[in-house]
Amino acid sequence: MKSFQIRSKMVNGVAVLYLKGHLDAHQVARFEKELVRMIRESNFNILINGQELNYITSAGMGIIMGYIDEVREKGGDIKLCSLNERVHETFDLVGFTEIYDFVADEQAAIEKFNRVPPTA
Amino acid sequence: MVVELTRHIATLSQFPPADAQKVSLAIDEAVTNVIKHSYGNQPDQEVRIEYFIAAAGLRICVRYRGSPPDISGEEPDIDRMIKTKRKGGLGVKLMRTIMDSVLYTTAGGEHCCEMIKWRTSN
Repeated sequence: MKSFQIRSKMVNGVAVLYLKGHLDAHQVARFEKELVRMIRESNFNILINGQELNYITSAGMGIIMGYIDEVREKGGDIKLCSLNERVHETFDLVGFTEIYDFVADEQAAIEKFNRVPPTA
Repeated sequence: MVVELTRHIATLSQFPPADAQKVSLAIDEAVTNVIKHSYGNQPDQEVRIEYFIAAAGLRICVRYRGSPPDISGEEPDIDRMIKTKRKGGLGVKLMRTIMDSVLYTTAGGEHCCEMIKWRTSN
């Protein structure tokens, strides 16, 4: 079984999940557990940093799909950043790149979360 | 193992590396569906995979028993899946996007997921 690691930390009010390795059906429970923990702790601005993610299947993408509505209803979002070309293309194959916000790097994503909308 | 084997066979079939990678992902999804849905995650069931290499492309048959596949011909709608908080169903969409043909059949108690990738397709 290929390895998968997940760690998380708060960065300027954003819960960042760092995924590393191979995320498939065998590993997806750990990803879901951590994502749910973030949401249950009322962190609705969630960034998935996939800089070290080498492979993802529909199981991993399905977890993001299963919680995005709840997070957005609470005024937050799940954004993704720093994906390599292959992983980004996998998201693109199912049309996720039109529905979710993919950002080039973590700093840009954090800034996007914390950007105050202009007032009228 | 099946992912690496499929990628290797697709590469031997002269698919570019990026396409070989995608074909191996489609097989990963097909086999995962079989183990999860047809065999209820039981680890000791048989899944047989046959590869047919031809000049025009690659045909792969995933053969198994257990519960019949619950696959409709409809294209999964992502927006509807989000609204209903579904976490599954993306695998079939991936398979159909990657491969040129995905066909489920049953004969003599054995189910088959037949997938074809033509060499000239994107």
